[in-house]
Amino acid sequence: MKQTRAERVATAIAALVGLAIWAALPWFVGRGTIDILVFSGLYTIAGLGVSFLLGQCGIVSLAQSGFYGIGAYATAYGTTVLGLPIPVCIVMGIIFSGLIAAAVGIPVLRLSGYFLALATLALAIIAHVLFLEVEWLTGGTLGIGGIPRISLFGFVFNTPFRFYYLVWPCAFVVILLCHNLLNSRTGIALRAMRDAPDAAAVAGVKIESLKVRIFIFSAALGAFAGSLFAHYVSFISVDSFSIDRAISFLLIAVLGGVRSIAGTIAGALFVTAAPNYLSRFGDIHPILFAAILIVAVIFLPGGFGSVIATAWRASIRFVSRNAAAAR
Amino acid sequence: MTVTLLVQSILAGLTNGYVYGLIGLGIAVIFRGARIINAMQGDFALIGAVFAYLVANNLGLPMPVAVVAGVTAGGVTAFLVERLLVRPTAKRRGTDDSYLLVTLGGAFAVSAAVLLYFGRDSYVLPGIGGNKLVDIFDAAMRVHAIWLIVISTAVVLVLRWFYASTRLGQAMLASSIDPEGALTIGINVGLMRSFTFTLGGIVGGLAGVLVAPLINIHYEMGLLLTLKGFAAAILGGLTSPFGAIFGGVLLGLVESLAVVMISSGYKDVVAMSLLIVIMIAMPQGLFGRRGRQGG
Amino acid sequence: MTAQLEVRNVSHRFGGLEVLKGVTFDVVPGSITGLIGPNGAGKSTLFNIISGFLRPTAGDIVFRGEIATAHPIQRRSRDGLLRTFQTPRIFRDLTVWENLIVGCHMLGRTGVVAGLLAFPAVRRELKEAGERAEKILGEFELTGIRDVLAGEIPAGRQRMVELARAVMAGPTLLCLDEPSSGLSAAEVQGLMLTLRKLNQSGMTILLVSHDMELMGISDSIHALCFGEIIASGNLAYMQSSLRVREAYLGV
Repeated sequence: MKQTRAERVATAIAALVGLAIWAALPWFVGRGTIDILVFSGLYTIAGLGVSFLLGQCGIVSLAQSGFYGIGAYATAYGTTVLGLPIPVCIVMGIIFSGLIAAAVGIPVLRLSGYFLALATLALAIIAHVLFLEVEWLTGGTLGIGGIPRISLFGFVFNTPFRFYYLVWPCAFVVILLCHNLLNSRTGIALRAMRDAPDAAAVAGVKIESLKVRIFIFSAALGAFAGSLFAHYVSFISVDSFSIDRAISFLLIAVLGGVRSIAGTIAGALFVTAAPNYLSRFGDIHPILFAAILIVAVIFLPGGFGSVIATAWRASIRFVSRNAAAAR
Repeated sequence: MTVTLLVQSILAGLTNGYVYGLIGLGIAVIFRGARIINAMQGDFALIGAVFAYLVANNLGLPMPVAVVAGVTAGGVTAFLVERLLVRPTAKRRGTDDSYLLVTLGGAFAVSAAVLLYFGRDSYVLPGIGGNKLVDIFDAAMRVHAIWLIVISTAVVLVLRWFYASTRLGQAMLASSIDPEGALTIGINVGLMRSFTFTLGGIVGGLAGVLVAPLINIHYEMGLLLTLKGFAAAILGGLTSPFGAIFGGVLLGLVESLAVVMISSGYKDVVAMSLLIVIMIAMPQGLFGRRGRQGG
Repeated sequence: MTAQLEVRNVSHRFGGLEVLKGVTFDVVPGSITGLIGPNGAGKSTLFNIISGFLRPTAGDIVFRGEIATAHPIQRRSRDGLLRTFQTPRIFRDLTVWENLIVGCHMLGRTGVVAGLLAFPAVRRELKEAGERAEKILGEFELTGIRDVLAGEIPAGRQRMVELARAVMAGPTLLCLDEPSSGLSAAEVQGLMLTLRKLNQSGMTILLVSHDMELMGISDSIHALCFGEIIASGNLAYMQSSLRVREAYLGV
C-alpha cells in the first residue's frame, strides 16, 4: 500500500525515536527485565519465521521448535565437542536446519490445511524425541553445558545487558531481510500464491518450490535464534525444545498478527514477559496462553499488528489534520 | 525374537491400537457430523480419565460411578467446546485453519489445566478385573485390556446402528452432508452439530476411562493421543467408524513391532512418521470413498 | 502452416466414466477459435487438459509444434499458453497494479535469496514490470483503480483485471474459460472489442463459452457433445446445423 508523505515522515520519526528508546532502555531497568527483553529478541527472530510462513503462505507450522533445537544443538556440539569457532557453528546450524527443512518440506508441503498443520506438529514431536534419544549428540536428559559465550573483538557478551546489544541488532537485520523480501517481486508472488494458487501458477509462480524455499527460510531463522539462545544461556537441555515451545512460537505469530512485523515484536514481548510475571501463581501461563490463542483466533484475527496499524494510522490522521488546521 | 515376545508385542499393539481407534472414532464422528477436524479429541479422553480418577479417589465412589462420571465429563466438555469455541468461529466465517487453531488452543488449555491441578505426576486408575492377568501363549495380557477391546467393538457396532437406523442419527448425518437441505426439511442443524460434538465427547471420555488403567494419566497425554487417533482415522478413511478402529489397530501393531525391533524411546517417532506418510501417500485411507486431499 | 495448438486424439476418463473420446482439432495461429457445447459435454475437462491442470488418460496436446501434454502449468505459461478462469481468479488482497505485476512473474529471474538481500536486479525487474503494467493498465482503462484492492472492485472490472494480467505475460495463445459469465450486456460488448483488438495485434485466442453472441467474434467454432466433436465451422454454419441444435435442445 502506498504511503502518503505524512505517513513516511511519521514512520521515520517513530523509527528514530524507537531506536533511541531501544538503545537507552537497558540502562534504566533491572537485570530480570533485560533478560526478558533478550528472550523477546530471540523469540522475535524465531517468531518471524513462523509468522512469514503463516501470513505469506497460509501455512500453520508447529515445527519451529525443532529447528530452534537444531540450531542450538548444532552450535553447542560444534563448540564444546568439536572445538570449532562459534560463527562456523552457527552457520553450520543454519545450513543443517535448511537441509532438513528441504528434506521434510518437499514431501510434507504438498499437504494443505489441517493435514499440513498436524504434520508439522508430528515433526515437532519427532524432533523432541530425537533430541532426547540421540544422546551422543544432545546429551539426552543431561543436556549440553559449558557452551562458550560469543565475543567480538575481545568484547564478551556474557551478561544479559551485553547480550541485549547483540541479539536485537541481529533481530533488526532479520527484520530488514523480511522487509526486503516482502517488497520484492517474490513477495508479491507469495501473497498472490496465498490468495489464488491456481491463478498464481498460471502467472508462472512455481508454487511447490516457493513454499519449500520459504519453509527453509523460516527454519533458518529458527536455527539462528536457537544458536544465539545456546550461547546466551550456556547450558541447554531437551526441555527448551518441547511442544510448549512450538506453541509459544505459533502464538507469537497468531497474536502478533501475521501481516505485521511490529505486531510480531509485540507478540514476542508478550509471550516472554507473561510467564515471568505470572509465575508467582504457579504453572498458570500455559492455560493463559491457550485461552489467549483461542480469543485471538476468534476475535482478533489481525492480532496486535492490526491494532497497532489501526492506532498508528488514526494518530497520523489526527496529527496531520490538526497540523493542517493550524496553518 | 521369541514367540512369547512376539505374542506379547502383538497383544500390546492390539490393545494400544484399539485405544487409538477409539480416539480416531471420536474424530471420525465429529468430522462426519460437523466437517471439523477436532484437535481436542485426545484431551476429551484426558478429561474423562481425570474426572473418573477424581470421583473414584477424592469422592471415594465405586468404579462404575466413576466411569459414568468420566464419560459424562467428556460429553459435557465437548458440548461446551462446540458452544464456546466452534460456534463463535463459525459465526465469524472461520477458515479450516481457524478451527484447527481454536481446537488446538482448547487442547493446550485442557493440558495446561490438568498441569495446574495435578502437576507433572502421573496418576493411576484401577482397571476392570483389577490387575488380573490372562495367559495367552505364555504372554500376559490384562483382563482389562480384553474388556477394552470388547467394549470398543461394541461401541463401533452401536454407532453403526445409530447412524443407519435411528432418526436422530440420520438427522445428524443429513445436517453435515447438506446443511441447507436439512434445514428445509425441518432439522435443527445447529442442534445436530451440538449433538455430534457431544457424541464425540462421550466416545472420547469413554476412551480415556478405558485407557487410563493401562498408561497412567498425565497432563501431556492428550495431544499425542489426538495425533495417533488422527492417524487411525485417516487410515480408516476419516468418515468410517469401523475404519478408524482398523486403522488404529494397524498403527498399534506397527508401533509395537517397531518398539521390539528398534527401541522403546522411538515409539512415538514411528507413530508420527507413519502419520505423515499416511497423510501424504494415502489421504483417503483404506476405506474412504472419495479421494480426499487434506485441507 | 503449423497449428498454434493441436489437440490430438485426447481421451479422458474419471473413474469409470469416459468424459472425452478421441477429441481432435486444431487452433489456427492468429485466429479466434471457439469451443461450444452443452453442460456436461466435457468442455471444462478439455480446457483443463489444454491448460495443464489435468493430464489426459490418452492423447496429446501439441503447442507450437512441441508435445506439451506433460508440461507443468508454469512451463506452458512460459512458452506462451495462458488461461483465465470461469470466475475471475484475481488476487483479492493485492492491488490491481500488484495483480498485473504478478502476471509477468515468469519473465523474471530473481528469487527468494535475491529478494531477501535486495539485489539490484530485483529493483530493476520490478521497475520493468511496473512500466509494462502502466502501459497495459492504460490499454485496459484500469489506471484509475490501479491502487484499489482487487477484491473490492466490481465483477466486470475484475474480469478485465484478470485479462490484463494474462496479457502482461505476452501470451501467443490465450485460453478463455466462459469470459462473459457475470458480465452485463454492455460489458460483453466491451469484452468482444478488447478481444478483437488483442487478436489483431497477433494473439491467438481460444474461447470456451455458452454465450452465442460472444462467439460472434470467432473465426471457427468446434462443438463438443458427450466428449466428442460433432461439428466444426463458422458461426453461421453452427447456428444452422441440425446436429448442433439437437445437442443443445435434445436430451
